Amino acid sequence: MLHFFDPRTDLDSEIDYGTPPATFDPTPDAELISLSIDGNEVRVPEGTSVMHAAAMAGINIPKLCATDSLEAFGSCRICLVQIEGRRGFPASCTTPAEAGMEVKTQNDKIGKLRRNVMELYISDHPLDCLTCPANGDCELQDMAGAVGLRNVRYTGQSAIPSHTHLDEKKDTSNPYFTFDASKCIVCNRCVRACEETQGTFALTISSRGFESKVSPGQDDAFMDSDCVSCGACVQACPTATLMETSIIDKGQPEHSVITTCAYCGVGCAFKADMKGDEVIRMTPWKGGKANRGHSCVKGRFAFGYATHQDRITSPMVRDSIDQPWRKVSFEEAFDFAATRIKGIQEKYGRNSVGGITSSRCTNEETYLVQKLVRAAFGNNNVDTCARVCHSPTGFGLKTTLGESAGTQTFDSVEKTDVIMVIGANPTDAHPVFGSRMKKRIREGAKLIVVDPRSIDLVNGPHVNADYHLQLMPGTNVAFVNAMAHVIVNEGLEAADFIAERCETEAFHEWKNFIADERHSPENTEQFTGIPAAYIRGAARLYATGGNGSIYYGLGVTEHSQGSSTVMGIANLAMLTGNVGRDGVGVNPLRGQNNVQGSCDMGSFPHELPGYRHISGQAVRDLFEDAWKVKLDPEPGYRITNMLDAAVEGSYKGLYVQGEDIAQSDPNTKHVEAALRNMECLIVQDIFLNETAKFAHVFLPGTSFLEKNGTFTNAERRISPVRKVMPPMPGLEDWQVTLGLSKALGYEMHYEHPSEIMAEIAALTPTFSNVTYERLDEEGSLQWPCNDETPDGTPIMHVDGFVRGKGFFALTEYVPTEEKVTRRFPLLLTTGRILSQYNVGAQTRRTENSSWHGEDTLEIHPQDAEDRGINTGDLVSLASRAGDTHLRALVSDRMQPGVVYTTFHHPETGANVITTDNSDWATNCPEYKVTAVQVDKLISETASSEWQNQFAEFTEQQIAFIDK
Amino acid sequence: MSENELSHLIKMANQIASNIGIGSTEEDCVKKVVTHITAFWALPMRQKICANMEEFAEDLNPIATKALLEIQTNLKAA
Ligand code: SF4
Ligand code: SF4
Ligand code: SF4
Ligand code: FES
Repeated sequence: MLHFFDPRTDLDSEIDYGTPPATFDPTPDAELISLSIDGNEVRVPEGTSVMHAAAMAGINIPKLCATDSLEAFGSCRICLVQIEGRRGFPASCTTPAEAGMEVKTQNDKIGKLRRNVMELYISDHPLDCLTCPANGDCELQDMAGAVGLRNVRYTGQSAIPSHTHLDEKKDTSNPYFTFDASKCIVCNRCVRACEETQGTFALTISSRGFESKVSPGQDDAFMDSDCVSCGACVQACPTATLMETSIIDKGQPEHSVITTCAYCGVGCAFKADMKGDEVIRMTPWKGGKANRGHSCVKGRFAFGYATHQDRITSPMVRDSIDQPWRKVSFEEAFDFAATRIKGIQEKYGRNSVGGITSSRCTNEETYLVQKLVRAAFGNNNVDTCARVCHSPTGFGLKTTLGESAGTQTFDSVEKTDVIMVIGANPTDAHPVFGSRMKKRIREGAKLIVVDPRSIDLVNGPHVNADYHLQLMPGTNVAFVNAMAHVIVNEGLEAADFIAERCETEAFHEWKNFIADERHSPENTEQFTGIPAAYIRGAARLYATGGNGSIYYGLGVTEHSQGSSTVMGIANLAMLTGNVGRDGVGVNPLRGQNNVQGSCDMGSFPHELPGYRHISGQAVRDLFEDAWKVKLDPEPGYRITNMLDAAVEGSYKGLYVQGEDIAQSDPNTKHVEAALRNMECLIVQDIFLNETAKFAHVFLPGTSFLEKNGTFTNAERRISPVRKVMPPMPGLEDWQVTLGLSKALGYEMHYEHPSEIMAEIAALTPTFSNVTYERLDEEGSLQWPCNDETPDGTPIMHVDGFVRGKGFFALTEYVPTEEKVTRRFPLLLTTGRILSQYNVGAQTRRTENSSWHGEDTLEIHPQDAEDRGINTGDLVSLASRAGDTHLRALVSDRMQPGVVYTTFHHPETGANVITTDNSDWATNCPEYKVTAVQVDKLISETASSEWQNQFAEFTEQQIAFIDK
Repeated sequence: MSENELSHLIKMANQIASNIGIGSTEEDCVKKVVTHITAFWALPMRQKICANMEEFAEDLNPIATKALLEIQTNLKAA
């Protein structure tokens, strides 16, 4: 393959080039310009700054206000250079390189000017370098050294105007970083990082000259400001002014290991900064292709749970759940579990047991659990928690496009013109991608938000939605159909694309279907509540506004028609030709870190790894050969079916790795009934989670810091996870699965997770060229990665759809059975917030709870007034499934008739309320629509009946652990 | 409230029929439902619903009924 200079990949992520790379299209005709810097010839893309060009040649011009994650600002003037034929000393960070330029970066005159600048800075800076937390990592110190500053004439406060920074107070309100304004040089990097990188605009610089100073909001404390604690300003600060508290406490790290965040599906790359085997800081890695050096409060700061005192590091067993746990050796626990599982299968049949793989664990671990179920249990009763979030994505995208995955890279958003966000809240749930999206919107991309709630994107700092289509929960299909109807009936479809790329007959059948009046926005308005004119406007914008991209989340999938909406979205993208290139596509935003990976690894009961149906003889032959075992050709139970069968009494044993179905699955009472019916529940986790309270065998798990493996993010990007500390229980999770499998009589042999990946690659055509060595070389790889695409596949369906021709599926709107009634007149929808993650098991055990200590119920002012509810009141929330009590938050983000809550705290019991309605195709639960009633509680302390039982049960179960 | 396994299966079959059993001919619609249920439902689920469908005849919609009859025949043949 020919190689062209690509500033995205050909720059060294360990070097700070001072200014961002120029936008450059690495094609054969792209031209570079040539200039001379200190006599060296440098070839760079047009638009590169002189500073950046010099750094490419290995010449580091001193800088203070510049860093390559931010646009040049030109305020400190320490980076000045001389250019042949030009007057004065231009700043190299703001001067673009030009062909033929001759630049001098160093001579006596320049040196003197730089020392003068430096002297002024230092005169207003404490000289306590030896005891400063930034010692060893301070750019101000480095630059003083680089320019050769030897004395400072204006020391003390007399020589300079009355106000200096020296007596500023520290702001320690943020639990993770400290703001020590006395060290601030007002370089503005933090302010720009908050604006450009994060897009929150929380920081400002007030006053001017010597008096100017940085502050969050109007002189607020960080915790009282709009700051979301992403850490971008801390990362950008060249001094000790903004500094991680962990570094202040512990000093600078001595080595770092690159790894991948274990929280959300963005999959940010981090450097774990270490002191011995202790992680003292997580720093977003600039070389990470998913995050490009940015982070959010979870990945950046919330890693303390890994060493939390609640960790359980010893295996435990017990005969029944009303008994205390007995600590045992791993061997004993494996034998105990295996004997019970075998006994159950003998008594109730082969199908009476199964397993649940984790969307938080690594690909390798997930692969092993499904292998254990299929090979050692001898059935296909394996499912993953992706069942309850993105299973409709798998089904819908496979049916229409041919591959169960998103079509783009995150970088693709930089080329998009119209963004449609449906049922996703990226600034909270996928924050780093949310920031990248906001940046593109600030650059001018149009935005359509489809959401019952007014999410941050609708009306945020410097970001506004062109259309907010505020639909009623449960009417997504009516909405997508109306969009398609407008595009078809107004003749806005991409006829050539469809003719060339899609199945003709299916398209014509679909076109007749969608053209019908019942799908017109004027007719669907009665269901969706979206004014027809808005739909028409949005449809025209998406179809004709240039590159149109769709990003969607669980607000699409977690419905009785989740799969239909996913297919409807794919239809829209094909209809407008928005598939197969940069800037467009269908992009599911995955909730947990490895949702994509757990699906890829064959966690679904009907599919072997690589999405191949278990009924296929050829595929089974392949696996039977490799695994030396006979496979059952019948699909197995999904989680929901397992639980139903357990309640009925025919399903008795379950191995759950790294999931907490008792908290995360809908209709808690039903789940609890199922779990209580189990005769052998094996839970592998780092904490005694809600599910483990019903378990008979507890196998201690390891956090992402204690093992090797890979995660696959929402862009199909496989990234390395690296062991930085020894596993606290003594075994890594994959070794635990091996032990259990051996006890069951099916031995597997691996010495290292890389060997598991080698087996995955050998059996899965889309992974065939993935190896640990390649991952180390490339940092990450996007599947498909095989002989045809050895470097991976950033954009899918480029020359044709994976299934051959694109398929337009019929998507009839079938209203959900979950309807408001007089008894339950409101609709509840659920979601998540920035600082907490999923069931909260990790984030609740960190300082992140300073932002979100409890789940609250958001309610529209009108609905609140009707019920006499004020913010902070304790209210009861009831559905036909159950009821719970929580505090209200009156908010005009809500529309009348719709209430909202999060599910991060177990004692809230948000899922006590949700029902067991589910998606027609995949049984993905309908979390997003539940008919409820909300009432103000008179008694301030009252807990619901379920909450009382929960508290009692929890207390009892905790007492059963002998710590 | 907890729906039992069987009523849940009936509801799922109906849902599938009303979502996928649409368009073209009835024969086609039935075929789509049969294919879907065979591909995605575990054997015990198919057996259970087929063994009890007479009792719930009134609760099943027509396409679902036809599809399940066909699945019943397939199960017997296997
Ligand atoms: S806080 Fe740091 S980044 Fe911000 S202006 Fe001061 S020195 Fe610069
Ligand atoms: S932590 Fe992030 S949000 Fe907060 S001030 Fe810094 S850049 Fe802005
Ligand atoms: S939680 Fe998501 S966005 Fe935040 S650092 Fe981790 S992967 Fe990135
Ligand atoms: S680094 Fe160029 S002006 Fe500050």
